[in-house]
Amino acid sequence: MRTSLAGYLLGETGKSIWRNKLSSLLSCGTTALALFLLGVAFIINLNLGFMFQVVQKQMEIQVYLDKELSEDAYAEIYEAVKAMPGVAEVKYVSKADALEELKEMFRDKASVLEGLGEDNPLPASVRVNMVEAAMIPETVAAIEQIPGVDDVEYQAEAASRLASLGRVSQAVSLGGMAVVGLVAIMVISNSIRLTVDAKRHEIAIMKLVGATDELIVGPFILTGIVLGVLGGVFGASLAIGLYSWVVSTIQELLPFVPILNLTVETAVDMLIVMLSTGVVVGVLGSTISLRRYLRV
Amino acid sequence: MIRMKDVSKVYDAGVLALDRVNLEIRKGEFVFVVGPSGAGKSTLIKLLYRQEVPTEGQVVVAGNDLGTMRRREIPYFRRKIGVVFQDFKLLYDRTVAENIAFALIVTGAAGRDVTRRVMQMISVVGLKGRQNAYPNQLSGGEQQRVAIARALIRNPEILLADEPTGNLDPKTSLEIFRLIERANIYGTTVVVATHARHIVDSMRKRVIEIKSGSVVRDDRRGAYDR
Repeated sequence: MRTSLAGYLLGETGKSIWRNKLSSLLSCGTTALALFLLGVAFIINLNLGFMFQVVQKQMEIQVYLDKELSEDAYAEIYEAVKAMPGVAEVKYVSKADALEELKEMFRDKASVLEGLGEDNPLPASVRVNMVEAAMIPETVAAIEQIPGVDDVEYQAEAASRLASLGRVSQAVSLGGMAVVGLVAIMVISNSIRLTVDAKRHEIAIMKLVGATDELIVGPFILTGIVLGVLGGVFGASLAIGLYSWVVSTIQELLPFVPILNLTVETAVDMLIVMLSTGVVVGVLGSTISLRRYLRV
Repeated sequence: MIRMKDVSKVYDAGVLALDRVNLEIRKGEFVFVVGPSGAGKSTLIKLLYRQEVPTEGQVVVAGNDLGTMRRREIPYFRRKIGVVFQDFKLLYDRTVAENIAFALIVTGAAGRDVTRRVMQMISVVGLKGRQNAYPNQLSGGEQQRVAIARALIRNPEILLADEPTGNLDPKTSLEIFRLIERANIYGTTVVVATHARHIVDSMRKRVIEIKSGSVVRDDRRGAYDR
């Protein structure tokens, strides 16, 4: 004979999951799928951040300055660029520096450059590195407005593509997660509604003997939470397992592709996010199915 | 203990179940409510444990005005009351002992004390040795004993019964009423709606007769018929 409240709650929860094996499995499965997609979004996000870091280092904005200006004017432009938001690093390259670089590049064929010594045709420039690749187009537009700036060059394509790729893939995975998450909430709520319906008689008796609403509703909410957490465990295992496989495959076949290794800390972070989302899904699912009942 | 003042109950369909009922039941009384089917007996009982609320008038039970009682307070109010029905209302997937313990567990009671009180109550209602049986392994009379045990285990101030012997033979009915009377002797106020003529006649308790929703008779030591 069970003679405690905790025993009652756990016993009822276990019974209701076991008695509705099929719908419990379905609830777990859809939650797992939703949380798997959340995990995918999480991983994509993580890798995009990593890729931005890698690519950003290779992406420099070249700002060519008007040849007719004084060194003071160049310094002013340099300061103006440096003060822009999102600028990580700024380097001033004078006409003489540019020539030196050119000579360095053509060291073997110095003859090509003969005759340039007296009349240096190269412009002075400013080289800018950004904190975030996504900010490059904006910054370029702003730099072009500065008087004395002749021309601005950067890898426009690469920058904007990377930025939009990031936005799109994140939106797609988060959108997918939202849709499947809603489905999961509906499936859990339906599963619990079946149990509530089957227990109408029992609920009436509980009310009769003076059970509070919390006690009546408790096992149903707990059932929702258990289903959500189980789904979370499956979804997270699937996402983490699949990702480790992807990482090891890519590192073997395409060693030059930048991909982030899943550290234990990241995996734990992911698990926490996914399990708590599982709890939220479970609570929402069960609350929805009990809402009508609670209002009575 | 119970006071009804100008109580009327109209159901959604427009049926007038009770029409300006006034009555007062004092602590420790044993009251039969009689009358033809559909007269309003069940409605009267339902108003007393706040299954229904009156359309008009005031119902006060054990110091609670049920018309103004907040939803959250209902469970605590019901713990002061035991209710028994014609159809027993047991949980069929639980044993006798579990059915009775249920009324204690919902109040947060736990452990050995629950077991002890349940076993004690089982022997009071004469079901010793049957604690691990399931309700459908029991006869109707035995099932009603379980229901009575569940209603009495918290020592309620009031025991309400709505045709508790409607499904039972005369001999079993008498035994059930003996149990109910015993609770009354120990101080529980009892209100029983019934059609059991021979029992009402033999017990000579207060009889309230209802016809078409109105109290037509209230005898201190009454019989089933006038």
